[in-house]
Amino acid sequence: MMDGALIPLLLAGVPLLGALVSLAIRSNPDRLKLSSIIWSVISFGAIIGLSVRLVTPPEGLLPLYLLPLAATASLLGQPAHENHRRSSIMTLVCLGLGVGTLTGRDVSGQLFLMALIVSVIVLLYRHHTALWPISWWGIGSFGLAVLCVGISFVSGPPLSSVASLLTCAILLPLLPFHNGYLTALTRLPGSLPSFIVLLLPAVGLHGLATVMLAVPDIVAWTVSLFALVGALYGAMKALAQSRVRLLLAYSSLSFFSMLWWFAASTQTTTPRAAMLVGAVGLATSGLLIAWQVIRTRYGDDVDPQSVSGLASVMPQYAVLFSLLGLAAMGLPPFGVFAGFMGLLFASPLTSSVALLVLLIAWLAASWYILNMGQRLLFGRQRSELRSDDLCRSELFSLLMVVLILIALGVLPASLFEPDKSTPPTTTITGSFAWNK
Amino acid sequence: MEQVDRSIDIESRRMELRGVVRLAGEVIAQYWPMRTFVHHNPLHGLEYLPFEETVRRGKQFMGGNGYLPSRSYRDYLKSGRIQSRHLDDALKPMVHDKRVVIGSRTVTHGAVLRACLADGFCTQIVEPLDGQLPDPSKNLINRIAARIESVITFPDLRERIRMIAKGDEAALARWLTLSHWCDDTLGTHIVRQINDQLIKWCEAFLDEGHAAWPMPEREQGLYGAWKALAMQESSLFGIADSRRKIAQLPDHPEDALLENLDALGIPSDLRQDYLSLQLTALPGWAGFIKWRGEERDYPWQQAYPAGLVKFLAIRLWYARELVHKVCREELGIDGKYETITGYMRTHAEEYYFRRQRVAGRLPALYAEEVDRLAHQKGNGWSTVLDRYRTDVVPRQEAAARRGAAKRLLSLVRSLEIDPAQLDESTPVDLKQLSDWMEAFPESDHGAVWLKAFEASYQDRLLGQLRTRANEAARPATPTRPYSQSVYCIDVRSEPFRRHFESVGPHETYGFAGFFAAFIRYRAWGKEHDTEQFPVIMRAKNEVRELPRTYLDQTVLKHEARAKWVHAGHTLLHDLKENVVTPYVMVESLGWFYILPIFGNTLLPSLYRRWTAWLRHLFVPSLATTLTVDKLTSAETAEMLDAEQQAIVRKALHERIGLRSSRVTPALVEGLQQHALMEQGDPEPPLIQEAERAGLLVENVNTFVEILRRQYALNARAASRHKERITRTGFTLEEQILTVDTALRMMGLTKNFARLVLFCAHGSTSDNNPYESALDCGACGGNEGKPNARVLAMMANNPRVRERLTKTGIEIPSDTHFLAGQMDTTTDKVQLFDLEDVPPTHHADLSRLQEDLKEAAALTSHERCGRFPDVQQVLKGKQAEAHVHRRSMDWSQVRPEWGLSSNTAFLIGRRELSKGLDLGGRVFLHSYDYREDPSNRLLEVLLTAPQVVAQWINMEHYFSAVDNEVYGSGSKIYHNVVGQIGIMSGPWSDLRLGLARQTVMNGDAPYHEPMRLLTIVEAPRERIEKLIARHEVLRHFYHNEWVHLVALDPNDGVWYRYRPTGEWTLIHDH
Repeated sequence: MMDGALIPLLLAGVPLLGALVSLAIRSNPDRLKLSSIIWSVISFGAIIGLSVRLVTPPEGLLPLYLLPLAATASLLGQPAHENHRRSSIMTLVCLGLGVGTLTGRDVSGQLFLMALIVSVIVLLYRHHTALWPISWWGIGSFGLAVLCVGISFVSGPPLSSVASLLTCAILLPLLPFHNGYLTALTRLPGSLPSFIVLLLPAVGLHGLATVMLAVPDIVAWTVSLFALVGALYGAMKALAQSRVRLLLAYSSLSFFSMLWWFAASTQTTTPRAAMLVGAVGLATSGLLIAWQVIRTRYGDDVDPQSVSGLASVMPQYAVLFSLLGLAAMGLPPFGVFAGFMGLLFASPLTSSVALLVLLIAWLAASWYILNMGQRLLFGRQRSELRSDDLCRSELFSLLMVVLILIALGVLPASLFEPDKSTPPTTTITGSFAWNK
Repeated sequence: MEQVDRSIDIESRRMELRGVVRLAGEVIAQYWPMRTFVHHNPLHGLEYLPFEETVRRGKQFMGGNGYLPSRSYRDYLKSGRIQSRHLDDALKPMVHDKRVVIGSRTVTHGAVLRACLADGFCTQIVEPLDGQLPDPSKNLINRIAARIESVITFPDLRERIRMIAKGDEAALARWLTLSHWCDDTLGTHIVRQINDQLIKWCEAFLDEGHAAWPMPEREQGLYGAWKALAMQESSLFGIADSRRKIAQLPDHPEDALLENLDALGIPSDLRQDYLSLQLTALPGWAGFIKWRGEERDYPWQQAYPAGLVKFLAIRLWYARELVHKVCREELGIDGKYETITGYMRTHAEEYYFRRQRVAGRLPALYAEEVDRLAHQKGNGWSTVLDRYRTDVVPRQEAAARRGAAKRLLSLVRSLEIDPAQLDESTPVDLKQLSDWMEAFPESDHGAVWLKAFEASYQDRLLGQLRTRANEAARPATPTRPYSQSVYCIDVRSEPFRRHFESVGPHETYGFAGFFAAFIRYRAWGKEHDTEQFPVIMRAKNEVRELPRTYLDQTVLKHEARAKWVHAGHTLLHDLKENVVTPYVMVESLGWFYILPIFGNTLLPSLYRRWTAWLRHLFVPSLATTLTVDKLTSAETAEMLDAEQQAIVRKALHERIGLRSSRVTPALVEGLQQHALMEQGDPEPPLIQEAERAGLLVENVNTFVEILRRQYALNARAASRHKERITRTGFTLEEQILTVDTALRMMGLTKNFARLVLFCAHGSTSDNNPYESALDCGACGGNEGKPNARVLAMMANNPRVRERLTKTGIEIPSDTHFLAGQMDTTTDKVQLFDLEDVPPTHHADLSRLQEDLKEAAALTSHERCGRFPDVQQVLKGKQAEAHVHRRSMDWSQVRPEWGLSSNTAFLIGRRELSKGLDLGGRVFLHSYDYREDPSNRLLEVLLTAPQVVAQWINMEHYFSAVDNEVYGSGSKIYHNVVGQIGIMSGPWSDLRLGLARQTVMNGDAPYHEPMRLLTIVEAPRERIEKLIARHEVLRHFYHNEWVHLVALDPNDGVWYRYRPTGEWTLIHDH
């Protein structure tokens, strides 16, 4: 019988081992891609198989299940190309560190988290360019996150709680600590942004589940204020973006801010919150993969303005992109809608102004996401551009994301909730490893 | 004196400007109101140029493609519609005698061009800087790219930028307006903003009764009305002080336009092109205004004048203000031609980056950097350029080499050469191949494809006709046919004629559907005339439809009930269109609409029959006749008198509110006479009658003045009116000339049958703004029924027949002329004036009707085979029912689909085409050169019906090759606007041309677009004389708008007329 403390290490070890194996075959991009996908799938299998022996966190195990799926979809969606060797390997590394953070206890979880953030910092540094000076802010944000993890590790409450809250605000982006998240989504190469977009918020939510119980009311009130402003700010910024990754980053910031508001208002996080985080992350991940499809054809630094009229020449792509768009703007039957509604009905609505702000931000999403889809799919067909429809792996990748989003939307919410028969294992000071 | 000189100078400037605007307007075609849709060439104004040059101009000014996409032609090649030998023939003039060696194979220039056409790899593809799609040939491509690296060179970036700036400077005001330049350089939307404004004003101003709330001030004309209203608008795209600026604009639109052109600094030698560009930004509205401007007698134009000068004066004011504003804000310069060209010269790098940024050609990070520099108005452009040069340019060059390598690889594969042999070729040879392909881009393929496509079709058609011509040459014994019938030359008549001839010994003839009767026609109970002749002609005679004299009592009943129906319709319309009432109406009357909705949707045939029965029950139809004969002087005076008195009665009712019981004939007559007198006081009897009716004397004078001014009841108007009434009908001489001309032109001068039918055509469809496009083009987009009736009545006139005998046309006394009309959607033929058919001909009539019915069924069967939504073969009743249902289906986007696919015009005896299945693609005009020794008839045929056929052909051609620009897009989005045309959605240019569903079948063209082929059976020297005499014919044939082929009866040989004016023998393949 395996010791319960070893299971997190085992789960984290599978993708990390995969990364090592993949590193050995990195000279062949095709084999590397295949290997990475296989290790992600094995990781998913391992999580499914061992999840019954894991301590269930308050937000449930949904984020844990979604991580390897998102990694698989991201790896499937990127081409087997020499430029993407590093991102394939790093996807596995981040998966391993993320799984370790979500499942690890005490020190191990904290070390995994620190390693994850440091990995992101290193990657951001390597992909820094003088034409994008703002990425220093992102690197700085993640540096602050590392510092906060360290502080929460060595200090006691209330400093540790504040430090943990800050870490959460950087990972699950909250205004004004969102720069790291934005930079990661816009500057990381290949399949990483489409994976990171789920990984960082999932890890952030995991920390938040514990932290919110400990924060004083005034802090919670302040957080909810930041969340409302963030929801509007994200929506407004997304409206003004022409670049797809930035638009999606701000869009998801807006949605995650909504979650922050719910969490701050109720001072709890529930599996419904995990559902919203998972669905928003996955929908954004799907759209990032869809954008990767465009980048694969027209170059990594293609200007979105140069691409239009894809609906007639890439019909499969157009259909899946449209479905992902519908999911991302929060329409039924996708998970974002279910998550949002679940939280809305489960929360005591104390402020109609707050509700109005949230609805405005939600409605704005249907404007900017539709607008983005309209620009890419319709308009003048560019005959001077090659337009090959989805290849098989891209099709599988996008289809997989769409199906998961539908599943999240239509499956009963109780499916993702912790088993009521087992006694709750979470206490304020207990399981959350960042909080000493 | 100085003031006089100045005013002369101003007037001469205005005149000069009007001339420039007229020339600038050549590039846009007139747009007729949709109720009389006229097929025409959208580039008609440029027909004095060669076809290919005009297509280029169309691209330049309107952005329209002049040829189908190459993939469509390639599909035709694969399916055999284009034959290989014709493609080779079309390519010949472009092929050089050059060759290169690839491995062990010699590749000729011709083979490369042929491969480019057939396999389509000459498309200019922008290679991505780092495309990552898997490609099995990647290594080979990289090897080839490496081999050509030494021979393919690129100019330095700075040099390239300088060249681009120079080229754009030359293009400014010639190829693009300053507004366009701002949009392309600064990412603004000035053109769209101006278009939106112009659409708003044109839509409101040009409305012809559609709007429930008409635009005020329209009597001031387009410019005046705009000025009056626009200066009350609060905000115009942030144009500072816009109200004052508009108020200060000159009163004359010419002066305003000149002021705007001066403000924009457009050099005088570029003004014509510049104004053309402005007009082509909204070719629909501008085209309609152009038409209105030229139709001075058009009532709406008389009431609310519009013209291109006015349109441009408004447009350029917006352009001037917005360009100036944007240039000031973004670049810190004036929005003038000179300053903008100066900016391009002095800030070439900045200009280059801005253009590239807006066009989406910069890598994303550089796009952000350009935005930052533009926003901060920074000076870091050179730094970015240096970085761009080292970072991006080498990748661009590598990508370009990869692109060239990919094309080379495609070429060798197409030529079935082993790709490995490219490794063995010299870089110079590879570059030579690459250069050949680059010099023959896909944009140059259209003209070659079109020639090959036309040659293939013409080859087949001429082959068919040649076979038939040999048989026709054999003498036949004339026998008297059961009937002779004359149909419009329209391609839709061809299948019907073929089937009708097959069901019995009937003879058919083709003739332009207005049957030589140039008439302005007013149907009974209608308020407006229709012009029943080709739009290139003018009418001298008017014809009215009147109830037959024995129907006096019925007419009164009919009139009364028709009034009620009309009032009901008006009330319903007003309730629906009013600002407030629809809210109430939907609640109260909305339920009643369930019946028509369900009836029209579920049981359209039954519902139509039922409503027709109901209508007939309430307002029974009347037997009518036409005023074919001229009125006598007494009749003219009587008619004039009656109409003037009706005006007086109407005015008494409208202005004074007198009931009809108090209006005596004496009062009416007195007022009428007094109004017609230019001066003097009312006569005492009039005063007495007025007092009896309760009118004061001073009011009589005021009322008479109103009659004179507002009801146009005065001596001058009476004189004009009388002159117009005298135009009603034809003199005997005119009737003889009309019948003689018609019969001779169609070659029907002997061996008359007992019944001769003049069969016009019309159509039936529902919910179809394009309904009149299905009617007769030769009748100005109207049904041809009145023309057929007029000609039949003339030909039945014994006095006309008597005089015709003297001119050599002897019509037997037992020959009766009938008028009819074919419904081209249902294929049914309806005959008119049957009560005039002598009893001796009833058996003949009955047989004719039976045979017409059978021919209709056969035609319906043939047509059903062409509808894409009909999957199975429909026969007999099924086919009849199907076409009938289509004609009533309000969701049907292709009720008829008969006119599309037209390609040729045959002028000759029916013997040439009798029995041939021409697929409903050929206009057929009967002509017997032996009946035309003076060449007069052929002259008319080539300069009138041929022109109509060419317009129809070109309308279809351009609508098919670029439906978005020259056509009107999908019917799904069409909205009727102002009762004059359609827009796509709620806000667009007035859509030109034909709908997508008319010319396309899915993504493939249903109408195979090719230029008209005119085939004439006549001696060549006669045709040559006519070409020399008529400029329009020289334009057609020398500029390759129309292909001409002649069957010379002198030697029985077929000849093709070349653009050089030579005839070449057509060989039999």
